[in-house]
Amino acid sequence: MGRIRQQGPQPMIRDAANAAQAAKAGPAVSVRGVDMDFGAGPLAVADAGFDLARGRFLTILGPSGSGKTTLLRMIAGFQTPTRGEIFINGEPVSKVAPHQRAIGMVFQKLALFPHLTAAQNVAFPLKMRRFDARGIPARVEQFLDLVRLGGLGGRRIHELSGGQQQRVAIARALVFQPDLLLLDEPLAALDRKLREEMQLEFRRIQRELGVTTINVTHDQREALVMSDEVIVMEAGRIQQNARPVDLYRDPANAFVANFIGVTSFLPGRVAPGGLECGGILCPGTPRQALAAGTPARGAIRAEQIRMAADGAALAGLDFRLQGQVRDAIFEGERQLYEVVLPALGGIAVQVYHHDASDFALTAPGQTVTVGWNRRDMILFPAAVP
Amino acid sequence: MRPSRAEYPYRWRLMDRLEAAADRLFPRRWSRWTGWLMLAPALLLVAVLLIGLVQIADASLHTLDRKTFRTSAAYSLDNYRAALDQGVYLAVLWRSVLGAAIVTLLTLLLAFPYGYVMVRTRSSNLRKLLLIALFLPFFIGQVVRAYGWLIILGNGGLVNDLLGLVGVPPQRLLFNYPAVLFGLVQYMLPFAVLMLAPALTAIPEETEAAAGSLGANWLRTLWHVVLPMARPGLVGAGLVVVSLTLTDFAMPAILGGGGQDFIANAIYDQFFRTSDQGLGAALTLLLVGIGSLVVGAVFTAFGAGTLAMGRART
Amino acid sequence: MTRHIQRPSLSRRAVLRGGVAFGGAALLAQLGAGRAFAAEPEKPAELIVRAWGGSWVDALKAGVSDPFTAATGITIRHDLTEDNEIQPKIWAAAEQKRVPPIHINWDTTTNATKSALRGVAEDLSDLSNLAGTTDLAKPVGLEGYPIVNTYGYVYVLAYRPEAFPDGAPKSWKDLLDPKFKGRIALYNDGIGFHFPAQVAGGGKLEDIPANMDACWAFVEQMKAQEPLLGEDPDFTTWFQNGEIDAACTISTNAREARKNGVNIAWTVPEEGCKFDTDGLWIPVGLPENELYWAKQYINFALTKDAQQVWLDGLGLPGVVPGLTPPADLVDDASYPTKPADFEHLIRISAQVQVENESEWFAKFKAIMQG
Repeated sequence: MGRIRQQGPQPMIRDAANAAQAAKAGPAVSVRGVDMDFGAGPLAVADAGFDLARGRFLTILGPSGSGKTTLLRMIAGFQTPTRGEIFINGEPVSKVAPHQRAIGMVFQKLALFPHLTAAQNVAFPLKMRRFDARGIPARVEQFLDLVRLGGLGGRRIHELSGGQQQRVAIARALVFQPDLLLLDEPLAALDRKLREEMQLEFRRIQRELGVTTINVTHDQREALVMSDEVIVMEAGRIQQNARPVDLYRDPANAFVANFIGVTSFLPGRVAPGGLECGGILCPGTPRQALAAGTPARGAIRAEQIRMAADGAALAGLDFRLQGQVRDAIFEGERQLYEVVLPALGGIAVQVYHHDASDFALTAPGQTVTVGWNRRDMILFPAAVP
Repeated sequence: MRPSRAEYPYRWRLMDRLEAAADRLFPRRWSRWTGWLMLAPALLLVAVLLIGLVQIADASLHTLDRKTFRTSAAYSLDNYRAALDQGVYLAVLWRSVLGAAIVTLLTLLLAFPYGYVMVRTRSSNLRKLLLIALFLPFFIGQVVRAYGWLIILGNGGLVNDLLGLVGVPPQRLLFNYPAVLFGLVQYMLPFAVLMLAPALTAIPEETEAAAGSLGANWLRTLWHVVLPMARPGLVGAGLVVVSLTLTDFAMPAILGGGGQDFIANAIYDQFFRTSDQGLGAALTLLLVGIGSLVVGAVFTAFGAGTLAMGRART
Repeated sequence: MTRHIQRPSLSRRAVLRGGVAFGGAALLAQLGAGRAFAAEPEKPAELIVRAWGGSWVDALKAGVSDPFTAATGITIRHDLTEDNEIQPKIWAAAEQKRVPPIHINWDTTTNATKSALRGVAEDLSDLSNLAGTTDLAKPVGLEGYPIVNTYGYVYVLAYRPEAFPDGAPKSWKDLLDPKFKGRIALYNDGIGFHFPAQVAGGGKLEDIPANMDACWAFVEQMKAQEPLLGEDPDFTTWFQNGEIDAACTISTNAREARKNGVNIAWTVPEEGCKFDTDGLWIPVGLPENELYWAKQYINFALTKDAQQVWLDGLGLPGVVPGLTPPADLVDDASYPTKPADFEHLIRISAQVQVENESEWFAKFKAIMQG
């Protein structure tokens, strides 16, 4: 197996000819029927498959233990699939060692080299990949500027702040212009403000270079903010592969619906026009065709339930009923209410309310009216597990 | 009301009593001296060592009169002159220094992969096995091990028996310089591995994976990443092995067949065989001097901070 | 000098004979018990005797210490500190006017002479049993009796008969045969080898210490044979493990190896062998009464009965006339009794030895370590 890509000094941004050639070659990454079996327990990754087009930003989203990191490590070459094949630029790579793949990776703990300066860290892959030594300093400078660390190249790693270290790690992963950039939850350890700043920074740099990127995270907001595409994983299996907006609007199953956003579930049976719950027909739309009477769950997001002290204010909605506020959590720009619905057997739903002037009016214990439209509640077959 | 045992365990009460007793012995207002109190035994020990060194220095400046077997009252540098004039001491000194260098190099070369596998292996059984194999020699001791080699490497020993099976006549494997160095390397290996292991543990596996993803094969990862990051351990292990080898007595005495003395053997001879304490003391100080030079050189080359002492930097 | 031979070598017969000896009233007379009724100083509870371990201390215990305890009631404790290592302690005690750590030191005459020259040894001229000893008991070149020599020994040429099919080596030069390369052992300070080497190298014994060129020339030749250098226990081990074919060593070690089943013989080549002595001495600084009883111990060690049992164990010739040699050593070169036996044995005064020893030692080392 030869090198995947010609090494050597290259123009920093891919030129048009390159792009055209790349487009002809098909997807940048292709995963086909990949299993990973660690021997004990169920498969860590089961029958994973997807294609990723050149220049796209994909996030693999899932709770811990869902197999997302294992999948990423297989793409990076640190682990070999027990079944299936991974193709990069159309070539199978199972037998290619990590250092022979043209993949840049930003690690969870960054894995910067503490005995080197920031610039030496960035120069490392260029040296290892035998770039022309004369071109290296300029290239390093260029990429330090790209991540806005111009002038800090001489600093030791421990002399840099957390955000600056992130930037060094990005520059180091990108400086040799890899075919693929992998991000293994590098933002997980940052505080929220810095994390949100770095999310945008990653996105900016990724767009600027047009590098195909696969990110792994358990943070749904990060996935939605940064990605062109999102894969949701659970128990080693891909649950859904979609654009962020589709993922949000049209979750493929109850797990995805639950994992993304704040979602309430109503138990019941499928009835014409909705879900029959506690003898009441709650308007909703099945995700796929379901026979009437099938046990089902209706998923509805907190921001799609409207709420008012005065029921008349919700007159335009497809459905309304009364409930009691059990809890109110102030989150700053919004308030999250937990409302018990006696008519539905005492089920509680979570409701976002964004009108700050109204917050104080709906204290716990108060009776309120909640309501929603038919298209906002999605019915899923009652999950077997 | 007395608190019940569950609320207030006996261990806490014991600590309370001990604390009260400590307060009586060493009142809190003296607390800024507590650090010095803790240091006192160590300082005392160093002080005693220093006094010994001063006495040795004094002894080295008096020569022995063999008519009366008493040392001269006058101070002179004759002992040092004798030590440096007689080729035998320079030869022994050179043999010790060269031996220390070779043994240190070989020991680190062997200890590094051993420590690396021990730290990195995913098999806890293998790790246990390596640890046991490492600690077992500590319970055996240097002299017994040296005698073990006498048996294994001797003319009628295991190795020569095996060589005999393939028709090789018995070889003299003992009583030469390589035999001494071999014994020393085998003796030093556990020390070196134990010094190296924490340094290797401190290198995140992720860092090695990162080097791989950046294009370094295992050899270049080792050279450019693992070795530089393991430097504190390597320097520490090297210092321990160098000083223990430089001052070793038993291996040259037992495996050298009497013809491969190190400095310690020469010093022993002066003190206990020819009763010439002055010359013995002079040789001792030369050894201390050489040892300090080596350590000083290492610190100059790598910096004292290389042992990862001092406050953690984040 | 390290002496450590593992297996006790006393025969049951020898022990019984010793028992008979101290059972008799004769013992009391030998101790000067006639004077015991006069002002006999207070007996200490115990006396400490430094000794070499293994069969050496067993022999001393059977021949001297146990009968002495039986006769006087004074317990004898044997301190097995190395002779080389007790010496600085005794010197330091004398220097600081402290009581020395032992009462009696069993020592090589050479080492004891250093202490005598330093003035830390009590004079023993007044021991009554000195009258019955041979010339061997008197230290050569020292005033009076700061040491009493108690037996002699020979640094023989010990060899494995298989390696010498034509019979015992006639000369030390026979060891220069290339087939013995790496198969010869000498003491690591060269002790015992210097004087025969002086003769073998074509020099004269009278020239020692003034001109020893012949000795060093021969040592140089021997160096080319790459000899092993060691101490007493090494020789026994090396013979047992077949590491060496020949050694210049004290006969006792060779005899010990033979008792352990190694086929080994020894000889005195034409150039001769070094003959030397060990002795007993008392460090200065003991309380009056302890000094008295320490002297009585040495005096007792000079009795014929004590010597017979003690030296049977060591296989060495004593310093009182009329001792019976062990059966295996009758007419043996290592057990000289008649003047003719001493003809090929080289004896150099202890004083000459100690004054030049470290120079010889350094020279020998310089050649061997070079």
